[in-house]
Amino acid sequence: MELLTQLIGTRLSGIILLPALWGAAIFFFPAAREKEVKGFALAGTLVTFVASLRLWAGFDPAQAAMQLTLDIPWITAYGINYSLGIDGISLLLILLTTFLMPLSVLASFNYIKDSQRAYYACLLFLETGMLGVFAALDLFVFYLFWEAMLIPMYFLIGIWGGPRRIYAALKFFIYTMAGSVLMLAAILWVASAHHAAAGAWTFSIPALYAGALTEQAQFWLFAAFALAFAVKVPLFPFHTWLPDAHVEAPTAGSVLLAGVLLKMGVYGYLRLAVPMFPQAAATFAPWLAGLGVIGIIYGSLVAWSQRDMKKMVAYSSVAHLGIVVLGVMAFEPAAVSGAVLQMVNHGLSTGALFLLVGVLYERRHTRLIEDYGGLAKVMPGFAAVFMIVTLSSIGLPGLNGFIGEVLVLFGSFRVYPWLASAAVAGVILSAVYMLGMYQQVVFGPLRHTENKILKDLDAREWLYLLPLLVFIVLIGVWPNPFLRRILPAVDNYITLSRQQPAPPPAVVKLALDGEEAR
Amino acid sequence: MTFDPVPYAASALAGPLLLTLAAFAVLLLPLFFKSLRGTQGLVSLGAVLVTLVFFRAAPPAQLAFFSGALNLSPLSAYLWAFAMGVLALFIALSLARPAAPAEHEGEYYFLAAMATIGLMVMMAAGDLFTAFIALELLSLPLYALAGIRRSKPGLEAAYKYFMLGAFGSGMTVMGIAVLNALYPSLDFVSLKAALPAQPLALAGFLLVISGFAFKTALVPFHMWVPDAYEGAPTQVSAFMGAAVKAGGVVLLWRLFSLFDGGPVREIFWWLTVITAVFANLAALAQSGLKRLLAYSSIAHAGYIAVAFFGGQRGWEAVLYYLPVYAMATIGAFGVALILERDEKGPKIEDLAGLGKTRPWLAAAMAAFMFSLAGVPPLAGFFAKFYAFAGAVAEGYTSLVVIAVLMSAVSIYYYLRVTVMMYMKVPANGGDHPVEAPGLAEAVVFLMAAGVLLAGLFSRPLLALAAEASRWF
Repeated sequence: MELLTQLIGTRLSGIILLPALWGAAIFFFPAAREKEVKGFALAGTLVTFVASLRLWAGFDPAQAAMQLTLDIPWITAYGINYSLGIDGISLLLILLTTFLMPLSVLASFNYIKDSQRAYYACLLFLETGMLGVFAALDLFVFYLFWEAMLIPMYFLIGIWGGPRRIYAALKFFIYTMAGSVLMLAAILWVASAHHAAAGAWTFSIPALYAGALTEQAQFWLFAAFALAFAVKVPLFPFHTWLPDAHVEAPTAGSVLLAGVLLKMGVYGYLRLAVPMFPQAAATFAPWLAGLGVIGIIYGSLVAWSQRDMKKMVAYSSVAHLGIVVLGVMAFEPAAVSGAVLQMVNHGLSTGALFLLVGVLYERRHTRLIEDYGGLAKVMPGFAAVFMIVTLSSIGLPGLNGFIGEVLVLFGSFRVYPWLASAAVAGVILSAVYMLGMYQQVVFGPLRHTENKILKDLDAREWLYLLPLLVFIVLIGVWPNPFLRRILPAVDNYITLSRQQPAPPPAVVKLALDGEEAR
Repeated sequence: MTFDPVPYAASALAGPLLLTLAAFAVLLLPLFFKSLRGTQGLVSLGAVLVTLVFFRAAPPAQLAFFSGALNLSPLSAYLWAFAMGVLALFIALSLARPAAPAEHEGEYYFLAAMATIGLMVMMAAGDLFTAFIALELLSLPLYALAGIRRSKPGLEAAYKYFMLGAFGSGMTVMGIAVLNALYPSLDFVSLKAALPAQPLALAGFLLVISGFAFKTALVPFHMWVPDAYEGAPTQVSAFMGAAVKAGGVVLLWRLFSLFDGGPVREIFWWLTVITAVFANLAALAQSGLKRLLAYSSIAHAGYIAVAFFGGQRGWEAVLYYLPVYAMATIGAFGVALILERDEKGPKIEDLAGLGKTRPWLAAAMAAFMFSLAGVPPLAGFFAKFYAFAGAVAEGYTSLVVIAVLMSAVSIYYYLRVTVMMYMKVPANGGDHPVEAPGLAEAVVFLMAAGVLLAGLFSRPLLALAAEASRWF
């Protein structure tokens, strides 16, 4: 009983578990009442969002340490605890998740007609997985949520996706899983090394930060973690699953993939890979930043050549996440906090872009740019919203994208002047292709007769687009409340990334290979 | 230790004794009393349930019986409970859908009970020779069970299983003969004390290990598995997958733990790697569900063998792994049983559209597949985690890296089943067998609940496994 109040009753754990419980409840809906499921799911995500606002209220912006922590012993034999906690970075990402969820549910109302119960249950399970990743303070719990989240996303793409959905879903699952299994081996290694040194098992992330590891061990461990996160981000050249998954996923799936799932990779660098293996991180950082910059330029160039809007937005995500990785790998306060803010910005603007593409797709069942044109005449509301979102995505001053990009570029210029300069080129490219698409879709003559009867945004669509617009503008003009909460956590990250590990003990029981251990 | 061994021994041995009694009852009584025909399954299930009455928490001590041939301890209690559970599920599946022709019902349950007794003796055997006899008691009934329908696939399965099984037994006997010539006693404790061994003894051990590796289905001793699993009645395949493998694993572990290093460990290392790599690659090419499960069972033998390298923790992990793996396997075979139209069982594409026609059954099957693939939060993930944790802690990182990479490969063939069920439109309009054999579904859903909960709430089972592993 006490355990139950701890699991459900505490703010953080309650928010994580609530969607899963809500989703499980959906399975008990009788088939005859399937129509009511969407309302029920919307209520669940709204309740979660409102509950998550209590996190914002209870969060002390000045404090750098983990807050609202919870620590319940779980698998005691291995010292695994269900331990949670948030700092400014996780706070923003959790709020981003809970904020995007009701919008995704709302956007699915008309689009999803098949097996609605399973669909909304998958969305809610997915939310639990995503929130758990951002709040976990135990490596095992982190990995559990990280992998468990694949199952609902796999079904979302594979059942309710486009024509090549099976290929995309399998590719998504196998790519991510293949990337993560080595992380599992690395997690076991780290915990075993701690066990060998300290005599007790623990998977607690903060406890493993100051691990006594040799440089060589750090190198391999960081590589294993970095690979898992690089696939998720996705960094060039591990990005090939992303366009397929994005294009085939239903609108809500794309919104959450771009808005939240990609952030989990960056979050992994921030929370795990870098602070746990700082020495190796210093070695790898320029390379990862370089891959990020390649991603910016490559993603932009490929996006430029796309005819499918969703594919274009997908490749633009590769470019945007490249900027984020550049910032994270600079270990410089402005760059890192800009990168964190840019994660939120990208979630908002790319989420909105996918929703807008979904709006068009629901009307015309095509996503090709050349099938549109002149929409400003028939859909003025849509054109206006699309304008703001496009400008936010290319980083126009006054909107949210600008703040993040500028902070990253300024900050990383001090560390990697050449890479930062190259990144600027990518930012310019993004203006070229995004505005190009906007122009072809919205302006010009109405070439296609089918487009003449398109309806403008209806009330439901306004309902899920307006909140995004509010935050796109709000963060653009008044980013301080957000940055204020990020900064202590960012300072923490930079301190951790600079720490020199304690010298390894003279006798390390572990060896890289079984041969040596005998 | 102050406890009275007599009542404990009586309660512990009540299980096998009752089972023997019931076995002969179902074999012989219906011959004389016609009214008893057709009740053999119920009687056997009843006998298994009655043994629950005698179930006592095992005292923390080891009792040697029959001059050390049989060792009763919390370990044997754990493994025996497991064996009885598998038997109960097997009987339930057979009651739901009889595998044997009506006139052979008696033999069917008799053979199953005998195999289980063999398994139990094998798990508690204190010396190599008892283990071998038990192995034969386990294997011979199974050869007959595999072919009990006397149909072509069944006979083929029985034949292959028997030929290769006999080959394995032959190797074991030769090995035992060699060891018997070299060592004064064949019980495991004195064998351990008598090592290190000369080359001839090594040859003997390798022969014995090969024999048991046949039963556990480690590559390259796995050739019988796909054909036997496919051709045997599905209920029997489930029993083979869950029970026979467990017996082989326990014996292999005992042999493995005789060696602290040296060539035998080296050979085990390679066996493990080859098994994990080969089985997962071969499984990719399967089209029959039962064959897929067969290769998956070989692959899991490989993962279990990884845990061998984890010392005490590894043993604990093996004991946790066995029931978790058994639940997923029995559940998946149960689904195959519900869907089967001919003896070879459903093809994977026959599952197309199951998510629509039988949503709960499909959900259960998906849970089994994700559990076998080791995706959290299902129990299979926890089992793999524990199995690999011990090996990493003992320094066998490269082994674990190979194993996790191969389990990433395995994702593909497990996912294919879910793709079929949820994402493909059935070619034949999805007319899956609808008459619902209630008992088989009950078994499937019980197993599904097991793989869902045994992971997230793994503490009780893990604690039992830890306690049992101390008595190894």
